[in-house]
Amino acid sequence: MNLLKKDNFQRDVFLGLLVWFMLIIFYYILPDPGIHDIIQKVFILGLFAMSLNILIGYLGLIAFGHAAFFASGAYTLGLFLQSDFVLNLAGFSIPVAIVLAVLVSSILATLIGVICIRLKDIYFSFLTLAFQMLIYSIILALVNITGGDQGLMGGFPKPPFLGIDLGKPFDFYAFTIFISIITIVLLRQLIESPFGYGLRMIRDNSERPAALGFNNQKHKLIAFIIAGSIAGLAGSLQALLDVGAYPEWAFWSKSAEPLFMILLGGMHSFLGPLMGALIFEILNDFVTANTRYYGLVLGLVILCFVLGLKKGLLDWLLIKLNRK
Amino acid sequence: MKKLNKYSRRDILKTSASTASVFALSTGFPTILKAENNIKIGVPTILSGRVAQLGISVSNALNMAVDNFNKSGGLDGRNIELIIRDSRAKPDEAARVCRNFINSDKVDAIINAEASGASFAVQEVIRESGTLCLHTVSETTSLTADPSIRTWNAFRFSRQGIHDAVGSAEYAAKLVKEKGLKKWMSIGPDYAYGRDSTKTFFDMLQKFAPGVEIVGQGWPKLFQPDYTEVITQIVREKPDAIYSCLWGGDLVSFVNQAILYDTFKNSELFAINLADYTTMSAIKNLPKGLHSATRYVAAWPNTQDNRDYDKAYTDLYGDHPTNWSWETSIAIDYLINALKETGSTDNKKLAEALKGKTRKSFMGVGEGNSVTIRNNDQTLVDYSIGWGTTIPNDPFVKDIQSVDWNTIKELEKEWLINKGWL
Amino acid sequence: MEIFALFDCIISPACLLSQATGGLKIGMLLFLVASGLTLVFGVLGVINFAHGALYMLGAYFSWQVMTLTGHFGLSVILGSLGVGIFGLLFERTLISRIYNAELLVQILLCYSVVLILDDLVMIIWGDEFLSSVGVPEVFQVPPLFIFDAIIPPFHLAIIGMSFIVGIILWFIMTKTRFGRLVRAAAVNPKMLEALGININFIRAGVFMLGSFLAGLGGALAASVGSVVSGMGNSIIIESFIVTVIGGMGSISGAFLASLIIGMARSFGAVAMPLFTDGLMFLIMVLVLVIRPQGLMGNKKK
Repeated sequence: MNLLKKDNFQRDVFLGLLVWFMLIIFYYILPDPGIHDIIQKVFILGLFAMSLNILIGYLGLIAFGHAAFFASGAYTLGLFLQSDFVLNLAGFSIPVAIVLAVLVSSILATLIGVICIRLKDIYFSFLTLAFQMLIYSIILALVNITGGDQGLMGGFPKPPFLGIDLGKPFDFYAFTIFISIITIVLLRQLIESPFGYGLRMIRDNSERPAALGFNNQKHKLIAFIIAGSIAGLAGSLQALLDVGAYPEWAFWSKSAEPLFMILLGGMHSFLGPLMGALIFEILNDFVTANTRYYGLVLGLVILCFVLGLKKGLLDWLLIKLNRK
Repeated sequence: MKKLNKYSRRDILKTSASTASVFALSTGFPTILKAENNIKIGVPTILSGRVAQLGISVSNALNMAVDNFNKSGGLDGRNIELIIRDSRAKPDEAARVCRNFINSDKVDAIINAEASGASFAVQEVIRESGTLCLHTVSETTSLTADPSIRTWNAFRFSRQGIHDAVGSAEYAAKLVKEKGLKKWMSIGPDYAYGRDSTKTFFDMLQKFAPGVEIVGQGWPKLFQPDYTEVITQIVREKPDAIYSCLWGGDLVSFVNQAILYDTFKNSELFAINLADYTTMSAIKNLPKGLHSATRYVAAWPNTQDNRDYDKAYTDLYGDHPTNWSWETSIAIDYLINALKETGSTDNKKLAEALKGKTRKSFMGVGEGNSVTIRNNDQTLVDYSIGWGTTIPNDPFVKDIQSVDWNTIKELEKEWLINKGWL
Repeated sequence: MEIFALFDCIISPACLLSQATGGLKIGMLLFLVASGLTLVFGVLGVINFAHGALYMLGAYFSWQVMTLTGHFGLSVILGSLGVGIFGLLFERTLISRIYNAELLVQILLCYSVVLILDDLVMIIWGDEFLSSVGVPEVFQVPPLFIFDAIIPPFHLAIIGMSFIVGIILWFIMTKTRFGRLVRAAAVNPKMLEALGININFIRAGVFMLGSFLAGLGGALAASVGSVVSGMGNSIIIESFIVTVIGGMGSISGAFLASLIIGMARSFGAVAMPLFTDGLMFLIMVLVLVIRPQGLMGNKKK
């Protein structure tokens, strides 16, 4: 199975690094920590939404339990950094913790994925939802390990590594965006590879690829695992930002957030969900600062997108541009 | 533009006032109007969803105190400016709101009016930044009692689980002896507060009245609409008494549903959170003789100061204060006093001024009706804890007995040593 | 897990009977709500995520009628009828636009309505929870004692009423022309149109009926539970569980599944009080894995 494509890789890496540099310059041009905070969160939530869009946009599977992997990443990282391993690993703690977070999420995604991908349509959605709620119940039940509904308490250390100290706002900003951009570039490779086109083929007509000797189930499972792993990465970055992990991150309403972002940004363009995360975060910031009827405003905005634009903003823009 | 001229300035003011009521508690919007040298206080809280009442009663208490302070000239002409924002009860939102307060709004202090989960998130943010923080809502004991969670710049002005547990158990133990209440059951919401509260209550009850027996425990989910399965369990076991730390709408639902089974004829209910005005007035035909702690009632402590507080608040907002109101009122009173005393907004100086301080308060039961912020764990003590029985109409609670703080402190110490926290 | 407690309970008539009636009451109230959800899905193919919000509206409407008139029966009837009419408007203005849309669009549209309604009820009726409507005076009597089991008459009334509604629903769906048309519309809407039947009329009618059932569930729940914004968010998940277990679109399946969930809740509280919610999700996972179409569902969607 060919997971990488060679063309455009260098171009993507170059563009990615360019964006990263520009955002770093931006950090100094606009020294408002509130805005930096939003940009970091856009990337973290953007990763979360883009990972879900592998399933929704490219595979046509509406997963409604994606937050399970976000939470597993966050809890793995938090629990690891609270453990005694940190004393021995010191400078390697954070890289190891992030790798572990992704690994645990991918294992969880494998276990859940094997069962879920056998189902289609609404049944798939319901099964992912049910699994997520089971995981939520388990997080609540294991009070001694997870802290139950209060989340991981007492914070955890963030030992510097390779000269990067995530306790400093700039380091955190540059690091989070760097990791996110690398992941996005790799994801782009995957989506444009033969494997990625295989996914689209399954979405558009699941019988034909199978007739061509294509293993649909294997493709779906791999996509599910990759989506889960990236969600786990996003969760681990969020945990680093908040120095904790909370059961709300495994509740079904957390799974609705990336759905909103995908809707707002667009599911048919690669960067649509990232754009959606940007809209979502700006909306969140603006609305909560001005009214306490957040749900009312968010609901109306979603309604406008669903019935008015009928597609995400980036999808809409790209169609407009192509027409001209 | 021309169209605008048709309306008088007054009309526009009127419209903006009504817009403001829709955009209630608008914060950070008219930035131009704000003076630069204001003393800024950031308040993360819950203003939306089903516990919106929390944020509203906290905001009311804050506005009441701050308006008075500003009218009387502020601190050498510097006014206090409150920035109240909604976290929608999400810990990561609370952390973000808090970071924004510190980094963008450059607040001088934070009054944290979040529930427990989010309070721990706020604690981590202020631990890193060193911003002065006054907790006014979370009752979870560990927030200030556990040395690994405590931090020098955080103070607790809310009641604390362990204090209530001792107080409740002492009151309950008297009735155990008087009425022979041997068999006990509990019904508590299935989350950390519910479990902590129930466990510490029974731990303490065993101390005061050895020999009581726990015959069953029910753990409905938070906000569960239907309690039938737990009530049938209670009815079957026929306990002499029931301890419950359900609160708000949940408690109301439980009591209303339990009445159908005549539950309280055979079993006495000890509901620690019953005596809040909104809760009691919401129960249809509030049965006589249920036991409750006085969360906040104008009748207790039975002093003119307390009645004055209730009246001032009620006159302004048309509603009685809640438990969260008095906690926040004491916090802002302490903070204002520390500002006046130090004449600065330096967080280290303010923290020193708060530490170990004793002040007169309408909720105080210490010497000369005072409360104290304890030196070692920076937690409020000597606030009024009373228990009484309900009656269907105002003042809702009668035969109130106060709890002795010496006993509380003694048993709290023993408990902390057991936990390895002292 | 306390298997012995469960065993003790089953061999004692008092315990068995009180837990069973408790479970029956929980199950029947759930059935009212879930039957509306499954009906709407079966005929219209729409996953109505806003069904829980309609349930909440039922509670608020009946509270309002009760406050104005003080009449319990009237509050239940007008409250649920009001939700039916609201559902009709909702279907005509919004739902009718998404019949052929993707699943994601349907979910998001309904969810946005949930967000809007949750805030709207707070703007209209205030932030604080409202007290329950109260039990009608006829039922404010001491509970019955049957084999030492304590049973509130009001619960029997709720169970009975839900049964009657279930039977009426069954009668409408199987014995009337409307029911036959509805079932036909579920299978082949194009054919019905070709026969000159107004499919929009059928759809609107079904959605109105579904909303009415949600409203009725909410109105009855308001009699002894507090009324609060967001109260639909737990019932909608439970209704989904029922719908999935029973088979999506199957009303008899919803009946069976509601009874299973009611009993699981009631007896689960005896056997494993800490895992009753987990138990429901476990049943849901098992059904989806072993028999995705549900207990009474057809093999094809």
